Amino acid sequence: MKDISELNIPGDIRYSDDHEWARRSSDVVRIGISDFAQDQLGDVVYVELPGVGQKFKLNEAFGNVESVKAVSEMLMPVSGEIVRVNENLKDQPELVNTSPYDGGWMIEVRESDTSQFDRLMDSKSYIEFLKQDH
Amino acid sequence: MAGKRTPLNDWHVSHGANMSEFGGYEMPLWYPAGMREEHLRVLTKCGMFDTSHMSVLRLTGEDIYQLLQWVFTKDLDRCVGKERAPLTVGRATYGVFLNEAGSLVDDVIVFQFDTNDYLAVVNAGMGSEAAHHILNYIDTCENSCRVLVQDLSDRVGKIDIQGPRSAHVMREVLSDPESVFRDMKYYSFKGSIWSDTPATGTVLLKNGIPILLSRSGYTGEFGFELFIKPEHLVEVWEMLLEAGAAYDILPCGLAARDSLRTGAVLPLSHQDNGNWRYINNPWPMALPFDTGRSCFTKDFLGKKALVSSPPSSYTYPFVGFDVRKVAFTDSPPLVVNGHGRIIGIVLTCVTDVGIGWHGDKIYSVSSPDKPAGFVPKGLSCGFIKATVPLEAGDRLILRDKKREIPVMIVNEIRPGRTSRYSIETMLSKSE
Repeated sequence: MKDISELNIPGDIRYSDDHEWARRSSDVVRIGISDFAQDQLGDVVYVELPGVGQKFKLNEAFGNVESVKAVSEMLMPVSGEIVRVNENLKDQPELVNTSPYDGGWMIEVRESDTSQFDRLMDSKSYIEFLKQDH
Repeated sequence: MAGKRTPLNDWHVSHGANMSEFGGYEMPLWYPAGMREEHLRVLTKCGMFDTSHMSVLRLTGEDIYQLLQWVFTKDLDRCVGKERAPLTVGRATYGVFLNEAGSLVDDVIVFQFDTNDYLAVVNAGMGSEAAHHILNYIDTCENSCRVLVQDLSDRVGKIDIQGPRSAHVMREVLSDPESVFRDMKYYSFKGSIWSDTPATGTVLLKNGIPILLSRSGYTGEFGFELFIKPEHLVEVWEMLLEAGAAYDILPCGLAARDSLRTGAVLPLSHQDNGNWRYINNPWPMALPFDTGRSCFTKDFLGKKALVSSPPSSYTYPFVGFDVRKVAFTDSPPLVVNGHGRIIGIVLTCVTDVGIGWHGDKIYSVSSPDKPAGFVPKGLSCGFIKATVPLEAGDRLILRDKKREIPVMIVNEIRPGRTSRYSIETMLSKSE
């Protein structure tokens, strides 16, 4: 298990208390799971993602990530419509472990309420949150 | 986490293990190599597990044989090998302790030091309960006081080394491997760490540390279990790691142990069997059936309940068609038949990452006849408990709160398992 000091928690993205991350570019928000989340899950063997065009509310489950041991839901850090999913995860689910913020991204959404993004934790708050809760 | 700790706890934590509570102990789930690699290493090379959380009872006394014949499901007079020979000194046998209702107290491996001296290995945290359970039936003996049941759980360390290269590694660390390996059959053991057994000190490591070495394990693969004094545990662990480096040994956690044992159709007590009658499951080898499997060869605690009324539940192994599993949340996932009727619940559902379908057959990474270029992604597998009898080949749906996963009832999950291969066979394979 990685110590909190060993976790990769980039400063340019936001985090939910369910350990999803969100990165906003010009018109979409890219979403994945944090280094902490993948470290807790262990080896990811399957990722189940939604279809493009589906709409989800804040904190609604948009997919599942499966380790050898268990199945875990992933929750929307912001509400919105799916505009793209990471097709590479079909054949390379291990990218979630090896590259949680880049190759292992899950979905891109068009936000329906842009204020939700601003309420997500920044890296400093997320690290504090991890220290308190774990 | 505030569980009990094995003497290897500091080693696990300092080597980056992901720790979790299991059976009241803080145990490693996996190390930085990850559970997939750990699982595969046991199938193809070898892995080592800290299993010091398991509980160990020493059962002695003039009447202990008689008491065991009542509380333990195996018939000690007819339990060794296909020929059903009696359990003898240096042999071990797998069975269960049942209660009067015929349901599980715990599963157990009984090792015979002598006709009035046995070791019983039960699950983590179960030592005290199993000891009390046995002592409850002390009246079964004609002279009720001539037994002694000691819970040694905190005084025994244990390491399992599992996988095709296990004997190669043990050969490097044993002081006299040739004599130790001679005639060492599956489910037999040599040596002891207790000063008052005849086998004491007969198996030594090169550094002089005594161990009890058993040709057994719980992964379905070839290997050994080592019983060690707790004060020697870390030293032996590091010795195995160092000697095993040439054979690509890897420390493995409980997650790999769980997926390996499931693929080998081995039950996890209190999950795959529990507070329901211990019958109609894939583990009849734990019951004292006669060779025709038509009746029991002895009377034993729980037997009356097992035969008293028609069966009400049936446990079966299943395998999926890809890696996908069902989620265990507040309630277990359901089992649905082809007519959409709910016929049971899921007991275990994991991924055996070493297997995959090729045509209509499952192969393992270690199958000698696997197709060229076979690289398995893994298959979901586990056990269900159904209210109706099913047959191998039956197709079912597993349903959790959100998803439905198609699976098939099978007799075997991971093919080509090596657990019963001889030491000679394994040592003769290319290194």
